[in-house]
Amino acid sequence: MPAVQHFCEWVSSTGFSIALRKSIWAFPIVESLHVLGIVLLVGSVALLDLRLLGYIMKHEPVSKIAHSVSRWTWAGFALMFVTGLLLSAAEAAENYFNLAFRIKLALLVLVGLNPLIFHLTIFRSVNSWDLSNVIPWRARAAAWSSLVLWAGIVVAGRMIAYIH
Amino acid sequence: MLSLFHWLASTHMSIALRDSQWAFAIIEIFHLLALALSGGAILYFDIRLLGWGFTSQSEKQVARSLMPLAIVGIAAMIVSGFFMVASGPVRYYYNPAFRLKMYLFVAALLFHFAVQWAVSRRRDDRQIALPERIAAVLSLLLWFSIGVAGRAIGFV
Repeated sequence: MPAVQHFCEWVSSTGFSIALRKSIWAFPIVESLHVLGIVLLVGSVALLDLRLLGYIMKHEPVSKIAHSVSRWTWAGFALMFVTGLLLSAAEAAENYFNLAFRIKLALLVLVGLNPLIFHLTIFRSVNSWDLSNVIPWRARAAAWSSLVLWAGIVVAGRMIAYIH
Repeated sequence: MLSLFHWLASTHMSIALRDSQWAFAIIEIFHLLALALSGGAILYFDIRLLGWGFTSQSEKQVARSLMPLAIVGIAAMIVSGFFMVASGPVRYYYNPAFRLKMYLFVAALLFHFAVQWAVSRRRDDRQIALPERIAAVLSLLLWFSIGVAGRAIGFV
């Protein structure tokens, strides 16, 4: 996609991107905040997934746990999104060709679809299975795919720095 | 202590880790995944002590249900962290950020799990608001400083 490539090259040539790339402190600080975002976002999502799978807090209604974690999930998402944009912008031209970066973007789209489908379908009937021992298979499938996709995103994200 | 690090550096495992192109990346990824797991479990116990989430459960219940996850996560962090150190023991030995991180880690480990264990062993579900909030803030500050020191290892 030449248009996207040109856009990435243009981003890389901006003073902002160059400053971020060349800075001694800004890049590692943004990177650290990105990792803090992992704890908030992936940690929260994993807790809800583990509850759906019946590994933790079995006696607590799913909806209450979903409610408790949601604001921290969103806070983590906001932090990851902003710092992720900054990190992408700092090395936009290289990232365009980076296979791990492309895989990560694809996984991010999938991981975004997952809760969308979950909330529009099976979670609507949460009242009927909120406390049950056997969670509907579609909810369990959502939990597994969420865990696998987020792990894949962390793997692909870390690999961006290792492949050129 | 230095001789221990030198010995570790001379082991076949350490040499294999240094020579491998992907070993460090893979270990680092495990360290990150374990961070999400243990970080989440620890964070939510502190969040509960602060009254910012999981308030439908007692502090004792939350302390109990998150304990296995926190222990498994921290164990995975220690194992993957050990392999990271094993890939260049002497380099880590002389790294001030690494030393600071280890001191902070021992402090956080003892402090956080002493609090969580005490709360999980309560006879009743009573709440003692202020000391717990202070403990939660201290725990969060300790774990956060470990993250900062950990990130600094690559820069000093």
